[in-house]
Amino acid sequence: MTSFLNRQDSYQEYDYFPGDAYPGDHHSLRLRRLSSGRSIHNIPHYNPSLSDGGDSEDDNQGQPRELRSLPRHMAIKKAKLKSRGIQVPVLSKAEMWKQDKLKKLQKLQNKAREILFFLALWGKTLQKIGGNFGGGVQSYFLFLRFLVILNFVSFLLMAGFVIIPSLVFRQVGVSFMNSNSTGEEICTVYEPNPPGLVVFYDYFLNLLSGTGFMEYSFMFYGYYNNTMVEDRNFSYKIPLAYLFTAIFYFAFCLICIVTRMGSAARVAVATGGSTAVNYSMIVFTGWDYGCLGDTATKLKQKNLLYRLQVDLEEERLKKHAASLTLLQKFGLHSLRLLMFLLVLGLNIAAFFGIFYATRYSQAQQNQSAGIQALFYEYLPSVVISAGNFLVPLLCDQIAKVERYSPSITVIVALLRAVVLRFVSLGVLLFTLWDQITCKGKINDLKCMLCGYNYESYPCWETRVGQEMYKLTLFDLLINIALLVLVEFPRRMVVDNWSSKISQLVGRQEFVVSSSVLGLVYSQTVVWTGALFCPLLPLINTVKFVILFYCKKITLFSNCRPPQKTFRSTTSAFFFLVVLLLGWMLASVVLIYSIAVIRPSLGCGPFRFSDNMWSVVPKSLYSLPLVTQEFLFFLGSQAFTIPLFSLSSLVMFYVIALFSIYGKSVRLLRQQLKGESRDKQFLVKQIGELSQ
Amino acid sequence: MGNKQSIFTAQQLDAYQVVKCFCRLSRLFYRYRDLAPQLVPLDYTKQPDVKLPYELIGSMPELKDNPFRQRIAEVFSEDGEGNMSLDDFLDMFSVLSEMAPRDLKAYYAFKIYDFNNDDFICKSDLEKTLNKLTRSELTEDEVKMVCEKVMDEADLDNDGRLSLEDFQHMIVRAPDFLSTFHIRI
Repeated sequence: MTSFLNRQDSYQEYDYFPGDAYPGDHHSLRLRRLSSGRSIHNIPHYNPSLSDGGDSEDDNQGQPRELRSLPRHMAIKKAKLKSRGIQVPVLSKAEMWKQDKLKKLQKLQNKAREILFFLALWGKTLQKIGGNFGGGVQSYFLFLRFLVILNFVSFLLMAGFVIIPSLVFRQVGVSFMNSNSTGEEICTVYEPNPPGLVVFYDYFLNLLSGTGFMEYSFMFYGYYNNTMVEDRNFSYKIPLAYLFTAIFYFAFCLICIVTRMGSAARVAVATGGSTAVNYSMIVFTGWDYGCLGDTATKLKQKNLLYRLQVDLEEERLKKHAASLTLLQKFGLHSLRLLMFLLVLGLNIAAFFGIFYATRYSQAQQNQSAGIQALFYEYLPSVVISAGNFLVPLLCDQIAKVERYSPSITVIVALLRAVVLRFVSLGVLLFTLWDQITCKGKINDLKCMLCGYNYESYPCWETRVGQEMYKLTLFDLLINIALLVLVEFPRRMVVDNWSSKISQLVGRQEFVVSSSVLGLVYSQTVVWTGALFCPLLPLINTVKFVILFYCKKITLFSNCRPPQKTFRSTTSAFFFLVVLLLGWMLASVVLIYSIAVIRPSLGCGPFRFSDNMWSVVPKSLYSLPLVTQEFLFFLGSQAFTIPLFSLSSLVMFYVIALFSIYGKSVRLLRQQLKGESRDKQFLVKQIGELSQ
Repeated sequence: MGNKQSIFTAQQLDAYQVVKCFCRLSRLFYRYRDLAPQLVPLDYTKQPDVKLPYELIGSMPELKDNPFRQRIAEVFSEDGEGNMSLDDFLDMFSVLSEMAPRDLKAYYAFKIYDFNNDDFICKSDLEKTLNKLTRSELTEDEVKMVCEKVMDEADLDNDGRLSLEDFQHMIVRAPDFLSTFHIRI
């Protein structure tokens, strides 16, 4: 209401200047120029009550801020300052000093912000990418940068608490923890470096497959011992450190992901769901003013055109779907069900392929040598990558039959790809578990002696770590190979050979969603393998850095940006949700490895325990009694059940709060509409009464 | 890159810092001067009255491909024709910088999309905006449908056109308005 009255005021002001009879901005600008010495009341249409303002702060500082936020012309702002300068009373020396310090602090803050932006990893590159290719592609690179930093910090964690102490204690040669030998002698036999001549190319093969000289090194679990250092006030147990570092690493990653999700989610809740079709949003906020260059502008315009057309198309489809007869609906739904079963069948076929490939490769590993061995080593990775490539391709063709609306099609395709990737990794892990624990039957012939299949797996943790290492390496090699063998030639062909085929195929398009899925998959592999291969985060950091530069090169040289994008699938929130799913899969593996499986007797820091977790209670006995009792109480049911019920209560409360806020936002919106209608009604009434 | 003290007096600097200061003053001044070095003096202490014509402003790399560049220049210039003095130039880039508050940006965005300067975004303004956004490649039917939908969504007082309040209430719900209404200089 107040702004309406303001407008009335400003219109009235115009009457004072008889020469300028037409309303509008030009007039108001001229008005402001002429009235440079006048009072504050000729505020044109701007309602200061809606400003964000820093009005709660110190008044002297609040004034300059207020001036900044008002959209007035520079000249009048300066004149106002002059007039205010006269009116402001003389400040005491202390207050002047304080003001001076505040101003300097602000300048410092601005400078710090600029420096931080300059130092931020790859800041300028990301800006360039965003300006030339749009927000979707930029969000992929932002996500990649987040993962690089996460992996690097994780590596520092691992290095600080596990690798460096191990290194130091090994050199120092501290006493090993003796224990009663549990189990047969044969279980403790572990010879990673068989004696004899080693062919020269074996080093290269070992590098690629993590065997040989790499197997008994800091890379893998098998190298670490259960050393324990005890000094007067200082004691450090490697097994405990190893376990706690792994657990803390997982918790740390979870906190990082959830914090990042929080900021994205807050925005989504405040705006009441940003994925809903919203024409006014597209029209008024769709244009990116930071877009540079003719091609980028044309692209952005095409993008907007496509979005609007797609939204209109969806409306048409919705209307069409609502108008279908019952028989047609039944036909459509049964067709969709059939397609769903077909997709399920394809996935199951892929999973069986992975299962058999892994079993075959594990069986062949001990019997062959040389290049053949390498081939068998990499067989599971090859099958997984082939499956992840072929099955989505087929699903895309199937999706054309299903005739969902465009946005649902994209989301369904993405979900299928996510499920495929995670379940294929799960199948690989399941196959390994199958082999290691003889299908879970401890009484099986092979596993009876040591609790695991010691013949094929004298050190099964190292073997699992090796598999994860191979997956990571293979992923990187495939990316580089695709870059060199597919993308560059494609661009050269399309650019230099103009024919119908090359025009049809066109330049490579940078598809954000599948690239992000690739990143999430690699990160899940790293998480799964981190317990067994402590250096894997470092390898992953290097891999992601290489990937960043490779993708950047291919983006700028070979790609045209995606013309058809959907905001929901390029949003940071979606990426983080998928990453969280990967984390959950990895944490299941972690919990199972720590709590259930028997560690190898021949290698590693846990070789003398029944399971990895049991080192914790054992080491607790050395603590003072009170701490012991407290910690045991924390682990007992008397504590965990109330804790669980309390946290469920808190969760329900927060959910209720969330739904209430949503409802109140909707109510306020309706109230707003109602109020404007009231206003119209009153204006009409006033008009009628005055006649 | 030159001494600030030689271009502006200390008082002027202070005034600029207080009233504007969303971007670096010296960097913007040199960008302004680069557009026409023979017109813009190096010494601003006497507050010379220099205005650069729209053609020069519109040829800046940050603006030359923007379909709304003419409207932007018109909105921020004093005479409404796109000829900008240094004050107008600083105003423009400070509103379009990343540190300007949301309401300030919403106010100026409203003025930019209001092609006929009647303080309302009516159907014809919307159509012109749409055509600029999509290079006039939407069919007439589609343009009409989109305009209707926009009016449905944003027009709260049902007068067939968007006032500044309607616009601001819609902007409040837009999460990426701040990042899209932003020119990096």
